[in-house]
Amino acid sequence: MNEMMIETRNLTKKYKGTRAVDALNLAIPRGEIYGFLGPNGAGKTTTIRMLLGLIRPSSGVVQIFGQDLKRDRIKILRRVGSLVEYPSYYGHLNAVENLETIRRILNVPKTRIDEVLHTVGLTKDAKRHVKGYSLGMKQRLGIAAALLGSPELLILDEPTNGLDPSGILEIRELIKKMPQEQGITVLVSSHLLSEIEQMASSVGIVNQGKMIFQDSISNLQRKAGSEIHIALSDAEAAMITVREQGCFARLDQGKLIFKGIDDGQIARLVSALVDARHSIYRVEERRKSLEDLFLTMTSGASGSASEIAAIGSGAPRGAGLRKEVAQ
Amino acid sequence: MIGKLLSTDLLKMRRTGIWWVVFIGPVGLAAMQALNFGLRYDYLVQDRYASDPWAGLIGETGMFVPIAIYLAMTLLMAMIANIENRQNAWKQTLALPVRRSQVFASKFLACLIQLLVACVLLAASVAIVGLVLKFEGPVPIIDLLTLGAYPMLASLPMLGLMLWMTLTLRNQAIPISLGIAASLVSVFGASMPEIVPLAWPAVVLANGEAALRYSGFGIALFAVLYLLGSIHFSRKDVA
Ligand SMILES: Nc1ncnc2c1ncn2[C@@H]1O[C@H](COP(=O)(O)OP(=O)(O)OP(=O)(O)O)[C@@H](O)[C@H]1O
Ligand SMILES: [Mg+2]
Repeated sequence: MNEMMIETRNLTKKYKGTRAVDALNLAIPRGEIYGFLGPNGAGKTTTIRMLLGLIRPSSGVVQIFGQDLKRDRIKILRRVGSLVEYPSYYGHLNAVENLETIRRILNVPKTRIDEVLHTVGLTKDAKRHVKGYSLGMKQRLGIAAALLGSPELLILDEPTNGLDPSGILEIRELIKKMPQEQGITVLVSSHLLSEIEQMASSVGIVNQGKMIFQDSISNLQRKAGSEIHIALSDAEAAMITVREQGCFARLDQGKLIFKGIDDGQIARLVSALVDARHSIYRVEERRKSLEDLFLTMTSGASGSASEIAAIGSGAPRGAGLRKEVAQ
Repeated sequence: MIGKLLSTDLLKMRRTGIWWVVFIGPVGLAAMQALNFGLRYDYLVQDRYASDPWAGLIGETGMFVPIAIYLAMTLLMAMIANIENRQNAWKQTLALPVRRSQVFASKFLACLIQLLVACVLLAASVAIVGLVLKFEGPVPIIDLLTLGAYPMLASLPMLGLMLWMTLTLRNQAIPISLGIAASLVSVFGASMPEIVPLAWPAVVLANGEAALRYSGFGIALFAVLYLLGSIHFSRKDVA
């Protein structure tokens, strides 16, 4: 089995009775770009703070590089680069001085400063006071600071926050290169599925502090599933025919919508509908978009477990959860 | 590690104006006395303190030393903490491979160094005032150095409190108001009972024999506050 870079067991953080993070089991193997996905307030930043030892878990265990964070925090953090939420910086210092404050502690050669500034494209502005930087430039400086110590694990909380489209693309390309070129494992959080989809190799989805899905991106895409839409002259009357055929349909704006039926069933349905003198205008397959899936998974205040079971019909609660247990 | 941390803390203080505070405080006190003794030269130097004008100068300066030290501790710690508080840099600093107790210690050492520099500057600038006014006798170097140093040691509990509060509280208005209030109250230190810590810097200045004892009290109470502050800082959640 693959070596785990980050592993948490029942990680929980309570704030005045409410659970910001609730029994979270993260499992991130080496070399992955792990997309940590969830809507606002899902508990992503809270989890990341716990991974970095910034806040204490109410209960549960964090292991990074197979070592216990509580015991070996300093040894672990030496090999981790991080960027938490909006960027931290010293506005009265320039970019080089900002990085120098970190370099002295990490004890890396001065040349690393020029290297990371080049990597994030700040070389030209290196001598300007950071308070005059745009938000995107500050964000890049934060990423440069995370890279300074040549980390093996990079933890980035919403790194493309505040960047323009070309900046987002650049950072995304930068992140995608990390595992291949430098063997770095990346945990990157976002509330945008599209962003995670474009760079991550595996994904964990959290909602209200709970992990509701954790698997590879391709398995998530498979899960999205598809529906058959049939548009026809009199949908309501057609429902009777459908039932006679032993199928179940949902009625939506004059269309019949079928979930999980095979080719044979469709063929039989269509001929039965034609026999019953319905005019069939269109038969189409609609792939449920990942965005819809994400929204269904993360919407609603009540238990998301039942919803995910509904989505993954056939494979209740998904292979992802079973995998989690295995790891 | 503490050395590395201290060097980064000193680097972070560039262009913050902290060193101006360190410079202006003692030089300002000496300048005030230059004015006092210059304008009232005949009365102060040739009449009231004729027997020992150096002691007179040191005594007159000493009246303002306690409030100056309290204000300096408040202002310096507020400025040091502000460096990390302003852009929420704590989460970056404390996610580095550093012990929180050492981060705390480094902030303390930075402030202590500044206070010691201020003490030396005070001694030097008061000496210059005396020399310019052509006081007789040798320059009382020891008395000049202890003019700042003893009251500073006796005031250390304030630094312990400021360290604790500025480095752990989100709302900096609380420690700053408290520090300023304490500074103002300390003016009446001489008329307060001696068990009140705010009176200690005035006590060590008024009573040379008690100086060591009350400096010791100051260090002891500081040690307790420092320890509590350091433990709190090490355990607290960083937002
Ligand atoms: N210090 C705190 N005290 C009380 N509640 C908190 C605290 N920090 C976070 N929370 C709560 O915990 C929950 C999770 O917050 P968190 O910042 O981890 O979400 P997030 O997933 O990072 O969201 P976003 O996408 O908006 O950044 C929120 O409901 C938030 O209100
Ligand atoms: Mg967040």
